Amino acid sequence: MGEFKGTPATGDLTVALSNDELHILINLVEQLLELLGERNFTHHYQSDDPFAQLMAAQLMSMEPLSAPEDPVLNRLLPNAYADPDAADEFRKFTEPRLRQIKQQHLMYLREQLVFPVDHELPKADISISDAQQWLLALNDLRLALAVRLEVEPDTFEEYELMPDSEPKKSLLAVYFWLGGIQEKLLDHL
Amino acid sequence: MSTETEELSELDLSKFFDRPWVCIVWDDPVNLQSYVTYVFIKLFGFSKEKAHELMMKVHTEGKAVVAAGSREAMENDVQRLHEHGLWATLQRDDHGGV
Repeated sequence: MGEFKGTPATGDLTVALSNDELHILINLVEQLLELLGERNFTHHYQSDDPFAQLMAAQLMSMEPLSAPEDPVLNRLLPNAYADPDAADEFRKFTEPRLRQIKQQHLMYLREQLVFPVDHELPKADISISDAQQWLLALNDLRLALAVRLEVEPDTFEEYELMPDSEPKKSLLAVYFWLGGIQEKLLDHL
Repeated sequence: MSTETEELSELDLSKFFDRPWVCIVWDDPVNLQSYVTYVFIKLFGFSKEKAHELMMKVHTEGKAVVAAGSREAMENDVQRLHEHGLWATLQRDDHGGV
C-alpha cells in the first residue's frame, strides 16, 4: 500500500498502488472535483473573450459570497475573518481562485492515477513528477473525508476498536491510509 | 550589548505601530504535524526548529500567530495557507506584534 521508491534528488520518485487503491483514489478525487466545481466560474476571469469579461464585471458587482453551506466546502474554503461581513467580502475576491487552485491539484493527481487504469496495468508504479501537487491534493482529500467522517483527535483509537461490521470503518481505513501516503511523501521532500 | 538591547526595543515598537494585522493558524484534528511544519517552512521560510515550535503551539494552545504585517500581506498569507488546507484567519493585532 503506497510503497515509495527513489529520491527527489534523482527525480524518479514513484509510488506503487494496486488497482483497487487506484480506483478508490480516483473516485475520491472525482467526487471532490465535482463538489468544488459547483460554483466554479473562475475561467471567466482569465479569458479575453468579451462575454467572459462581461461576466467577470458582473461578478464583481455581485453581492459578497457567503460561506458555502456544504461543510466540506466550508472546510476547504474557510472564512478568512471572524466577522461575517469582512469574510464575505474577502471571499468574493478570493474564493474563485482558491477553488481553481484546488481543482488544479486534484486534476493533476487524477491524470497521474488514470493512466495505469486506462492501460489496464494490474499494479502500477506511478511516477511522481510533482510531489507538492500530490501532497496538497491528498491533503484536501483527507480534509474532505475527515469532515464527512467527523474525525476528532481520538478517532484513531475509536477506529481500532471498531468491529468490521461498522460501515464507517472502511472509509476511515482509507482516511488513515491517505495520511500514511502523505507522511511518506513528506519524508521524500 | 546595551546598543543591541536598544535596537531590539525599537524594533518591537515599530512592530507595534506599523504591523497592526496578524495571521492566525488554528488547530484541527486532520492536518498532520509533519505537514503543518512543512507548510510553515515552505510559505514563511522558517527554520525547521521555528516551524516545529509554531506547529506545536498551534497543536497545544489551539492557535498561533504565524505572521504580522499589513492587512494586504496578511490577506495574502491567509489565502496561501488556505491553498495548503490550513485553517487560518486574519485580524487586527490588539496585543502588539507576534
